[in-house]
Amino acid sequence: MTDEQPVPREQPLVLCADDEDDILQLLVFRLGRSGYAVLQAHDGEEALEVALRERPDLAVLDVMMPKLDGYELTRRLRAEEATRRMPIILLTARAQDTDVDRGFDAGADDYIRKPFSPQELSRRVQAILGRR
Amino acid sequence: MGPLLVITLTLIAATVALLLVLVVRRLLLARGERRYAEVAERLLPVAIEFVAGDQSPPKGLSAYEQTVLAQQLRRYAQMLTGEATERITSYFRGSAALGAARRRLRSRLAWQRADAAFALGDMGVDEVTPELLRALDDRKRIVRTAAARALGRLQAEEATVPLVEAFVEHRVPRGVAGDALLRIGSKIAPQLRDLAGSPEIELQATALTLLGLVGDAGDSDVALERLQDPAADVRVAAAEALGRIGSPHAEPALHVALDDRMRFVRAAAASSLGTIGARNALPKLIEIARTDEFQPARAAAQAAVKLDLVAAQAAAEAPDAGPHLHEAVDRAAL
Repeated sequence: MTDEQPVPREQPLVLCADDEDDILQLLVFRLGRSGYAVLQAHDGEEALEVALRERPDLAVLDVMMPKLDGYELTRRLRAEEATRRMPIILLTARAQDTDVDRGFDAGADDYIRKPFSPQELSRRVQAILGRR
Repeated sequence: MGPLLVITLTLIAATVALLLVLVVRRLLLARGERRYAEVAERLLPVAIEFVAGDQSPPKGLSAYEQTVLAQQLRRYAQMLTGEATERITSYFRGSAALGAARRRLRSRLAWQRADAAFALGDMGVDEVTPELLRALDDRKRIVRTAAARALGRLQAEEATVPLVEAFVEHRVPRGVAGDALLRIGSKIAPQLRDLAGSPEIELQATALTLLGLVGDAGDSDVALERLQDPAADVRVAAAEALGRIGSPHAEPALHVALDDRMRFVRAAAASSLGTIGARNALPKLIEIARTDEFQPARAAAQAAVKLDLVAAQAAAEAPDAGPHLHEAVDRAAL
């Protein structure tokens, strides 16, 4: 994938990946309501494919997903020129400090534990995209 | 017709009848599942709009639709926090679903009582706390367990003592009771301080352990006092709590506890001194690491490494250093 200049977008594009459809639809709704265009993925491999193809402005990734978990997905996104600067927020029920460390070591920019507040997630997305 | 033939025909008829009942039952269940899936898919946007947006559910939903919506909102209550769960609780307050769950909590069937207790925890309406407290004394363990979980989700401060007692007496799984207490959080500290003075050793020790997890520097006095208790289990819990609370005022008392007659109390004191950064205790910790029994020696070596790796490495090089300092230093290098 070459590092072409991204096409300017009317709305920031956010990728959400979670294998639980209830959570995914809620994220899509909430972020859409906050003014973002949202892409969906139901597993890690699909998320990787979508991210490399669409080059979203930010990704919200569940950690425990089938095919490719959130940690490995983050590492792979960081290894690709097209996505290595893309902000990544990990969303997970894994709440130990070691899990948080693992997320940051993989290259994530932020880590939100489940159960989570949709409003807080929206604010964090806004804060990260607002800085860029 | 011979009797054997009659019996055979009767058995065949009974088998056919049973198969028919099973098939019809399966068909009805499948139809029910399809109906549920269809309604759930249709109501999912309603649930999401309510939870993450600002739209109330439409009026005029049928009783069945309200039941499905309630289950979806309960599911979201388990996954979300903050404003979303407040909205869910406000929905359930005074609702038919809440009334139905309260009635089922009085069911003759244990599984229904457990299911109701579970649901009441998700609904988050704290007016049901007294009923859940009674359910904590249910004769069936699954009901008590569901009630304990629910009380934790409601953050019901008044459940502190009953939950600690249920924990100590194994009336609910300890993980569930412990999780419920931690969910209630620092609000339980005052009652734990009272329990730390209980005449029952296990209650005291459990209260101290929990105080170490949810308490703050103001709770260290209680733990310091219990460090002198005649019961070793209480002294261990107190020493561990002081380490978790992290108050430097505990250093002198923990230093004294390094000479406790019980090895596991010495080990807990050593560990806590390392956690609170008590550098003055380093020479004594190194001495214990060299000469004491396995458990306190290992804890003291690990604490010494935590306090001053360089000093611990130097001590480990002495010919009579013993294995624990070497082990702790090697692990620190990983």
